[in-house]
Amino acid sequence: MYQQSLTAMNSSLVSCSVCHLLVKKNVHFQTARCPRCMAMLYSRKPESIAKTWALIIAAFIFYIPANILPITRVTSMGKVQSDTIMSGVIYLFNDGMWLISLVVFVASIFVPITKLFIMTFLVISVQSRSTWRPKDRTILYRITETVGRWSMVDIFVVTILVALVQLGALASFEAQSGVMFFAAVVVITMLAARSFDPRLIWDAEEP
Amino acid sequence: MNTHHSSGIGDVQFPEPVINSRKLQISIVWLIPLIAAFIGGWLIYRALSERGPEITITFRTAEGLEAGKTKIKYKEVEIGTVTELTFTEDHSKVLVKAKCVKGSETFLTENTRFWVVRPRIAVQGVSGLGTLFSGAYIDVDPGTPGKPQYNFMGLEDPPLISAVDPGRRFLLKADRRGSIEIGSPVYYRQIVVGKVISFSLTPDGSNIFFNVFINAPFHQYVYKNTRFWNTSGLDLKLDAVGFRIMTESFLSMLVGGIAFDIVDTYEIPNEAPGEDESFVLYSSRDEAQKKEFSEKKLFLLNFNASVRGLSPGAPVEFRGIQIGEVLDLKLEYDNANKIFEVPVLIVIEPGRFNMKKDTNWKEKQNVIDYLVEKGLRAQLLTGNFVTGQKFISLDFFPEAAKAMITHGGAYPVIPTLPTQIEEIGSKVSRLITKLEKLPIDQIGDDLRHAIKGVRQIANSSEIMEAINSLNSAIREVQLLTEQLRTKTTHEVSDVIKQANLSLAASQAVLEADSPAQYRLKEMLDEITDVARSLKELAEYLDKHPESILRGKGYE
Repeated sequence: MYQQSLTAMNSSLVSCSVCHLLVKKNVHFQTARCPRCMAMLYSRKPESIAKTWALIIAAFIFYIPANILPITRVTSMGKVQSDTIMSGVIYLFNDGMWLISLVVFVASIFVPITKLFIMTFLVISVQSRSTWRPKDRTILYRITETVGRWSMVDIFVVTILVALVQLGALASFEAQSGVMFFAAVVVITMLAARSFDPRLIWDAEEP
Repeated sequence: MNTHHSSGIGDVQFPEPVINSRKLQISIVWLIPLIAAFIGGWLIYRALSERGPEITITFRTAEGLEAGKTKIKYKEVEIGTVTELTFTEDHSKVLVKAKCVKGSETFLTENTRFWVVRPRIAVQGVSGLGTLFSGAYIDVDPGTPGKPQYNFMGLEDPPLISAVDPGRRFLLKADRRGSIEIGSPVYYRQIVVGKVISFSLTPDGSNIFFNVFINAPFHQYVYKNTRFWNTSGLDLKLDAVGFRIMTESFLSMLVGGIAFDIVDTYEIPNEAPGEDESFVLYSSRDEAQKKEFSEKKLFLLNFNASVRGLSPGAPVEFRGIQIGEVLDLKLEYDNANKIFEVPVLIVIEPGRFNMKKDTNWKEKQNVIDYLVEKGLRAQLLTGNFVTGQKFISLDFFPEAAKAMITHGGAYPVIPTLPTQIEEIGSKVSRLITKLEKLPIDQIGDDLRHAIKGVRQIANSSEIMEAINSLNSAIREVQLLTEQLRTKTTHEVSDVIKQANLSLAASQAVLEADSPAQYRLKEMLDEITDVARSLKELAEYLDKHPESILRGKGYE
């Protein structure tokens, strides 16, 4: 129904991504800049699919050590306990704090992996020029982009605990290498979401 | 060639170059997954390369063990983690599977021992308190190098010694366990130098073997002639020497212990014991100190009086040096003579005293016979007046009634003298009898007579007469002098001559060396002597009442 719509792209125009000024599309638009705000001009995010793919793959790779390696080590009265994300969730759940455990599970395990799969799905759907429910896919993308940052909660909790729980021999709290990978997963998925151009979803509708 | 071109030369149409819209260069963003892949690969490589051997340890119980948490540590350094807890097929034991770090293969040999460190209160003290909070862990003693092994039987208790501890094991043999426990301390001069590792019955059940470990450098103080003894508990001893309490330490009072030393001061330390040499564990220091005298000679002593206070083990002394001990005593009724006797069996160990020239026992027996003939007698003496403990004393009594050693019975019989108390009693009674016999009344009478005599002499008529005649002489002299005034000087001179004569005569009577005087003086002197010697006798008797029996002459 929008097939006959006028878009910047099919009018040989480029909308500045920053100030939204419509500029004539130039042959050499790859190096063109907006005459008003000097921002790079492009119809679609350059190499969006490739970048997204690269980042998704990187995130998938990091996701494995992030979940296998321990993220924290608690030394309490001589008792040393190393926890991965999942063991922390289980620990909280066994301790009766099932609500917190649920939050941690959703934010730290469920969301990152769901995000990765959604991104993968979106990229594949764009590459295959799928016309399946473009509106829903756009909503999916928005949710992904919005919710992604919340996975950093885990990192913040660990950071704060490391800073606060330093009671010498009584108890101490240390971050382990898993945190780095987890943070990498979260950041890289956020970057992947940003590098994806949702307009590509609608490009499939173009003739 | 022209046919090649579709249009004429003036109107040349050149083909458009093919513009490859696809960029050939690869975006820099691909570096990110590349780095991720590199890190991931490195992690996998590290995980694989650090993967050590997996081992299985069998324990009776998995108390305190937790899969994924419990560590295996050697000297507090982690060398592995428990990964899984399962059961043996018959469910009697727990199989602990653990993953060890790389390089821990050297720990895993057939000599490696594993045990669980838990809080423990034992003889050796309190251990593993740290695990109260941190939870149990599995400790390792790598032991001596051996064949690699991956299945182990875990120990239930920590091993008392680590294979790397320097020192030496010794095997002790005893007939009783005493209160020695596994882990009981071993003392050398009251310093703890080792511990008891194990004890077991000998295969025939007649003895107990103790395995003790003595730490370096103390193991070098164990020589071939070292003696080990049990110091368990408190050693209370009541004997002829007195009341004694001996203990090696407060700990050994509670948990028992073993001490060792070279007990005989005349012995010098000799060479180190052989590799599989075992020692005798004596039941006490005294036992250990006793020389093992191979030569023993038994004698019988017959006492006619009470031997209360004498017990088996009491010393037999000669001039204060122990030469043997009492073996046994009993009461015997001699129906033939209708008397009770207490035969005391003693053992004399000739090895306890030195013979100037080495002689064999045959000769020594003759020597004993000879010595008895010379007055060697056995006597029961009190060693301790407080406790009443008695001992046998052998000594020479040359003035004792002649007696011979009796060889008839099972043992030669050495003649005895009455016990000291008995002897004192009889001596005292004899002294009293003698004192009773003393003619004290008569002595008094004699003395009185002597004094009377002196008085009689002093009052005797001769003396009175002499004095009277002296008086009359003086009177005559007075008359003479009066007559002298009235009569002639001639007469006077005659009279004076006569007076001289009579004066001389009276002088003879009164002079110091006159017989009368002399006799008087002599008599007085004698009386004084009598009185003095009586006094001396009384004093001497007071000091030496026995002189009545023995006379005065012995020095």
